[in-house]
Amino acid sequence: MTTLAPASTTTAKVKQQRPDRDTKGAGWIALITIAVFLLLWQFIPQTGLINRVLFPTFTDTLAGFVQLVSGGYWWEDLGKTMMAVAIAWPIGVAFGFSMGVILGTSPFIRQAITPYAIAVQALPKVVLAPLLIGWLGFGSESKIALAVIICFFPVWIDTMVGLALPAANEFKLMQSLKATRRQIFLKLQLPSAIPMIMVGVKHSLLLAFTGVLVAEILSASDGGLGKLAKEFASQLNMPLTYSVVGIVVILAVALVSIADVIERRVVFWSEESRARKR
Amino acid sequence: MTRTEQIAQLAIDASPRAKRKKFSPYILTALIAPLILAVWWFVTETRIVPPILLPTPASVVQSFPRVVFADGFGDQIIRTVTEIVGGFALGATIGFLLGMLLSSSSRLRAAYLPALSALEAIPTVILAPIIIAWVGFGMEGKVMQAALACFYAVFITTLSGLGLAEPNAVNLMRSLGASRWQTMAKLRVPTALPVIFGGLQLGATTAIIGAIVSEFIGSVGGLGYLMIRYRGSFDTAAYWVIIFFFLVIGLVTYLLIWYAEKKIVFWRHTAITRPDLEKP
Amino acid sequence: MTTTTQTAPLVRATGVTKKFGSGDKEMVALSGLNLEVREGEFLSLLGPSGCGKSTALNIMGGLLSATEGSITFGGKTLTEPSRQIGMMFQQAVMFPWRTTLDNVLLPVEIFGESKKKYRAKAEELLSMVGISEFAGSYPWQLSGGMQQRAALCRVLLHDPKLLLLDEPFGALDEFTRETMNQELLRLQAHTKSTAVLVTHNITEAVFMSDRVAVMSARPGRLIGILEIPFDRPRTPDLQTTSDFVALVAEARKMLELQ
Ligand SMILES: Nc1ncnc2c1ncn2[C@@H]1O[C@H](COP(=O)(O)OP(=O)(O)OP(=O)(O)O)[C@@H](O)[C@H]1O
Ligand SMILES: [Mg+2]
Repeated sequence: MTTLAPASTTTAKVKQQRPDRDTKGAGWIALITIAVFLLLWQFIPQTGLINRVLFPTFTDTLAGFVQLVSGGYWWEDLGKTMMAVAIAWPIGVAFGFSMGVILGTSPFIRQAITPYAIAVQALPKVVLAPLLIGWLGFGSESKIALAVIICFFPVWIDTMVGLALPAANEFKLMQSLKATRRQIFLKLQLPSAIPMIMVGVKHSLLLAFTGVLVAEILSASDGGLGKLAKEFASQLNMPLTYSVVGIVVILAVALVSIADVIERRVVFWSEESRARKR
Repeated sequence: MTRTEQIAQLAIDASPRAKRKKFSPYILTALIAPLILAVWWFVTETRIVPPILLPTPASVVQSFPRVVFADGFGDQIIRTVTEIVGGFALGATIGFLLGMLLSSSSRLRAAYLPALSALEAIPTVILAPIIIAWVGFGMEGKVMQAALACFYAVFITTLSGLGLAEPNAVNLMRSLGASRWQTMAKLRVPTALPVIFGGLQLGATTAIIGAIVSEFIGSVGGLGYLMIRYRGSFDTAAYWVIIFFFLVIGLVTYLLIWYAEKKIVFWRHTAITRPDLEKP
Repeated sequence: MTTTTQTAPLVRATGVTKKFGSGDKEMVALSGLNLEVREGEFLSLLGPSGCGKSTALNIMGGLLSATEGSITFGGKTLTEPSRQIGMMFQQAVMFPWRTTLDNVLLPVEIFGESKKKYRAKAEELLSMVGISEFAGSYPWQLSGGMQQRAALCRVLLHDPKLLLLDEPFGALDEFTRETMNQELLRLQAHTKSTAVLVTHNITEAVFMSDRVAVMSARPGRLIGILEIPFDRPRTPDLQTTSDFVALVAEARKMLELQ
């Protein structure tokens, strides 16, 4: 009935699609936008038009950031969050990849399980968060469990779709060479699938991060950046809340950049990464 | 993404082994469901999986009427669905319009794309505590959270899809003296639709997640609120009944978008079933 | 070799040069092209791959601007695409979400004219190229040749004075291409339009044209113009006559001697 689509989208494509002809002044537009944004952030709360407690000025927020970073107590929370991601992500990737290989090498099985894959995709897996916390407690186990459950999915699907990528003619070529199924898998399907698998792996990193944060926000005792943000927010200490969010954003961007570098190394032959190298 | 999707689907259809169908794979599909049920029954009866995590199938079925006919259950469903639909509509609209805007100017693209692609990395759930602090436990916060969660997927697929028009098709439009707007409406948007639908599909999933997480963190109603309540009273069977409803919401959303795509982007689906007539 | 004619040229290119890129990436695609296209004639641009034929054609169509030199069309300087000019490309460029008829009607839709008014004409054109029963079908239900036929109808729909054809049948097989060329000649004669055809097939250029403009490899320059004196309508038999073979040989020599 329906067919599976890869679970991930990619961003980098946009940049190479159209040659940027007329980009003069783009830097200025960006700078001016940032300046205007910061000015509004600084001055609107001072006018009293909006609640200054909920919307502190830019400098107040900056002061909060300095306070947080120099305070030092958030290091432990940062460590807890990153540790959970560092454990959950590889487990999720390994699990997803195995599922993809087991279920993706045969078109027959792939077709048979497609409805279930769609159902797994359609189920918002965060619904399990409160249950896992209730079962595993507030420690890092529940975070890791939730992150794994959330992040294995794109790797699974992208592996499965990727293994189906080679065209009929390529299969025919391999068969004409009397290649075994193993050879077809190792020499044709897997290399063709790797660019797509890498996209899934990158996506799953974000999902692992999301899973850990959700578990931290929902559970009460064990630390982590998610819990920190929730705590500060419930105290209505918005400068510190924004600061934690800022740190999460910086971390996320850094993680994705690292994943990008790895991807480019691994998938050196794909068009996309070649275009980006130029 | 569409291109690879198409190839993927073609490969599924055309892969030589797929043709050697002795019996339909959907027979296997039908066999898997009872198998799952049996495994579920087995692991719960033998208590391999603790009942606090997963109750027996029988107890879930028994709890079904109790949960569904409880007072105000319909209102809670409507509340959650409204949050999801509202957030999705809001986020998708903003994403689409912003994608159009950036697509129409390479200068704006160069100025804003770096910052906007950083958005790809941000786990939007971290904003949930802030949003709740801003607007409280009401539905607005859930709508905002869902919109935030789905905005990016629609934005980026719109932007990338609008850039997919073939150079010669763009040349044809230009040679006819088409205006920017005409090229957008008659060429770029239709070309982008398949990709945009991919973004909508992904965005719908994330919008649902956004709404649930926000309801979990703090709410006065909705399915997420019910779940937290049932878990508080260790009523795991009732909790799973609601998981079932989320599965249904997820599937219905998926099928609706899938159906809309099949109707609207009809040329793609039909074209794919005829691989012998390759598009130039 | 060239003969003078009384009528003013429909298109005149003077010293047209096109450079792509800048700095050390600069690349001269077309260098100092001087060319006149006479009203009503069929002119071919013949040259090796990458010599700037498409670039020249796109400049004539107002899609690209020349780095140096200028183009006049009907006596006026051409700066943007004109409704009087119709273009065809190597691919048919049929929108898959439109039926064949709607694809053919695309130009009038862009011009903001009534589609109803042109419907009959579009159907007539479709039946002239023999695909009227596919008017309601979608492009992906048509073969490559049928799609190019529809593209031909589309370009002829609004009676452009000038047809700019960039290897329009290049993607088709030899047999289909020959019939399509016949079709094109017939329709061009019927509509009395002027045509510029880009090709790298020498026989095709000689067979189709009143004049063949031969271009050199990069950077593209005009080597010379060959007059093809044969009467019209021309039939495929022409290609076996000794005069024809001699002209093909001459064109080949010009290409090789550059
Ligand atoms: N937009 C562009 N930017 C940079 N270089 C270009 C561009 N368009 C064409 N060129 C270069 O200009 C040269 C001439 O290109 P053009 O397409 O006009 O050749 P052509 O004669 O039509 O070749 P073919 O027969 O292969 O179609 C080529 O070397 C090409 O790489
Ligand atoms: Mg060309």
